Amino acid sequence: MKFKAFLTDNGVSLLEKRFLPALDKLGKLCHLYLTRDHFFFLHNLLNGDGVQSIAQFRTPALFDDYRISSQNDDRIAFSVDVSLLLRAVRSSAAVRTDDGSAASSDQDHCLQIKLVKKLPANSTQPLPFLTFETKGHRSAVIQDVPISKPLSRALVLELQTALDAAQSLPMTLVQVPDMNQLQGFMDRMRHVGDSLNVSISKCGDLHLQISTTLITLGAEFQKLLVIGDRAEAPASDRNLSAQSWFERAITRGDAQSVQVSVKHFAKSLHCHLAKPDCAFYGIGEQGSCLTVIFQFFIPGSRQTDKSISFHCRLPVLDTGSN
Amino acid sequence: MSSSAVEAEAPDLVCQLDNVQGMVDALSAVRWKRHQDAVIELSEHGIVLIVEDSNCLQAKVYLQRELFIQYEYKAQGRPKFGVSLGLFVDCLNTFSVPGHSGAIEIQYPGPDMQLLLKSIDSSDACIYAEIRTRIPETISWDYDFEPAGSTPLSFTCKSAALKEAIDDVEWPGSSIQITLQPSPPSVNFMGEGHGYLQIDFMYYVNTDLLTAFHCDRLVSHRYRYKFLRATTANLPSSVTKDNRGSKLTIGRGGMLKVQHLVSVARSTNTHPYINSAGYHQPSRIAYIEFFVKPEADNDDS
Repeated sequence: MKFKAFLTDNGVSLLEKRFLPALDKLGKLCHLYLTRDHFFFLHNLLNGDGVQSIAQFRTPALFDDYRISSQNDDRIAFSVDVSLLLRAVRSSAAVRTDDGSAASSDQDHCLQIKLVKKLPANSTQPLPFLTFETKGHRSAVIQDVPISKPLSRALVLELQTALDAAQSLPMTLVQVPDMNQLQGFMDRMRHVGDSLNVSISKCGDLHLQISTTLITLGAEFQKLLVIGDRAEAPASDRNLSAQSWFERAITRGDAQSVQVSVKHFAKSLHCHLAKPDCAFYGIGEQGSCLTVIFQFFIPGSRQTDKSISFHCRLPVLDTGSN
Repeated sequence: MSSSAVEAEAPDLVCQLDNVQGMVDALSAVRWKRHQDAVIELSEHGIVLIVEDSNCLQAKVYLQRELFIQYEYKAQGRPKFGVSLGLFVDCLNTFSVPGHSGAIEIQYPGPDMQLLLKSIDSSDACIYAEIRTRIPETISWDYDFEPAGSTPLSFTCKSAALKEAIDDVEWPGSSIQITLQPSPPSVNFMGEGHGYLQIDFMYYVNTDLLTAFHCDRLVSHRYRYKFLRATTANLPSSVTKDNRGSKLTIGRGGMLKVQHLVSVARSTNTHPYINSAGYHQPSRIAYIEFFVKPEADNDDS
C-alpha cells in the first residue's frame, strides 16, 4: 500500500483556505478515501447518524505526480482528525511563504504528502502517518499527521457502496440566493427549537420553520432557481400563507417536506467556508434526506468546475410529507 | 354587517414598523431577567407593554402609534394579552438581520389568538413568526403613581450618568437610599451595608449632569438595589450615544418613577444629514417608565 503526491499551490490554497476549515466544522474525524483518479473527504458515511458530507476532487485539482498503489484495486481509505490535517497544511503553507520559495522554479514540487509507517517514541509497534514534507528555500519541515489503520478491504467496499448511494440526486433542487442571510437567520433561530421543518417545492420555494408549543418561527424564500423537476404554481394559491400553500403543494405532489435537526442544518451552513459559488437544497427520494449541493465555478467564469464536487446529506428526523 | 362578522374578518391591530431594532432596544430595556411574563395592551394610541416583578417593580414601554409607518386599529375596547417577554424579544431579533431594513408587520390576533409577525422588506423572502399569547392575569397591579404633594419632587439627569451611579452603589449593600434636598439642591444615592458609598449629584455644580431639579423639601426613601438596578441595567447603547436624559420622580408613599426615552428611529449612520434632521423628531421615541416601590420599613422624612 503506497501513496505519495505533491500538493500543488492551488491544492494548498483550496484545502487550507476553503475546504479544511469547512470540513473541520462538520466533524472532528473524517475518512480520506483515495482512488486512482479521485481524492475524497468523507464524513459520517459508515456510521448512520450525523451530517454526511462528501468532498470529492479529481486528483489534478490538488496534486501533481499523484501515485497510489494497493492490492485493493489501488484504493486506500483511513480516518484522520481534520483539525490536525488543517494545522499541517497551514504550517506547510507558512513554511513555504516564509522562505520565499513560492517564487522559485521548483514551486510545484516542494510539498509532498505520503503515507508512512513509523515507530513513535515509547512504542513498540509502528503506526501509520500521513507525512507532509515541505521544502522551503532554506529549511525543510516534516510533519507527521497520525491516521487510523487503513480500512480493511470489506470496509473500503462498504465505504464505496455508501458513497455510491450518497451520490443520488434529489429530483428537484432550488438555489439558495444568499447563504449569509440564511446563516444569519439560522443563528437567531437556533435557540428557539431543536428541529427544523424544511419544505421545497418544484415552483422554486424554500420554506424553513421551527415550531414549539409557544412559538412558530419561519422563513420563506420564493422564486428561486429550480434545477430538475419543476412546476408552475396555480395562480389562485398565491395569496395563501406559506404553511397552507405548502400543504396544498405537497398534496399535489409539487412539494416535499422533511424535518431535520437544527444543529445539523447549522452545520451544513458552515460549508459556506469552502466558498462555493452556489448552493442548492433538495429533498432526497421519498424524503430520505435533505441534500445540500455546493457548486464551484472555474475561476473567472460561470462554468462549473467539474473537478471539485461537494455536497452534504442531512439525516431526516421524521418524514413530514407522510 | 354584524359586529361578530367584523371580528372574524378584521384583526384588532395590523401595524407596520420600519425598524425592528428600535423596538428590540425599547423592549430589551425592561428585560431584567430571563423569564418574564409581559402584558400587552393595544389601543388607538399605540401599544403598551407592561412587566412586573415581586409586586415591587413595574415597567411600561409605550410604543405610540406615531412610531409605526402604518397603524390600523379596529378593536372595540382595549384588547390585552400576555406573552413571554424573552420569547417576544428573541423573536423580534430574528427579523433584525444586518444589512436589511428590518421592516415588519405586526398583527393581533391570528386565527388562534397568536401574535403574528412578518417581514415586509422583500417580496421574495419572508420571515414570519407566530407567538402564542395567554389570557393575562386579572390581578390589578397597584402602582397608581400620585404626586407626593402640591409641588413635584423630581430631577432629570443624563441617562448614562444615572446608570453609572446606580452601577457604582452596588457593592455596599442590597438597599439604596435616595435623598432629594432643596438646600443645596442635590440628589444623593447612598448605599450602606458591607461598606458605605455615597454619590451626590449637585444641581449648581454640574448643570450638564443634572439638567432639571424640583424639590421644596427634604425627601428620602430606600429602595431594593436589585429593583433600582433593573431600571437602568438594560438601557440600549443608543440612549448613551444620543446623550439622552432620564427623569426620576418621587410620588406619594415614596414610589419612584423612572422615565427614559429610547430612539426607535431607523439607524442612519450612513447618512449623517438625515440623522441631524431626525435627531429631534419626537415621534420616533419610545417612552419607558419604571415604578419602584420603596422598602416597607422606610421612614418618610
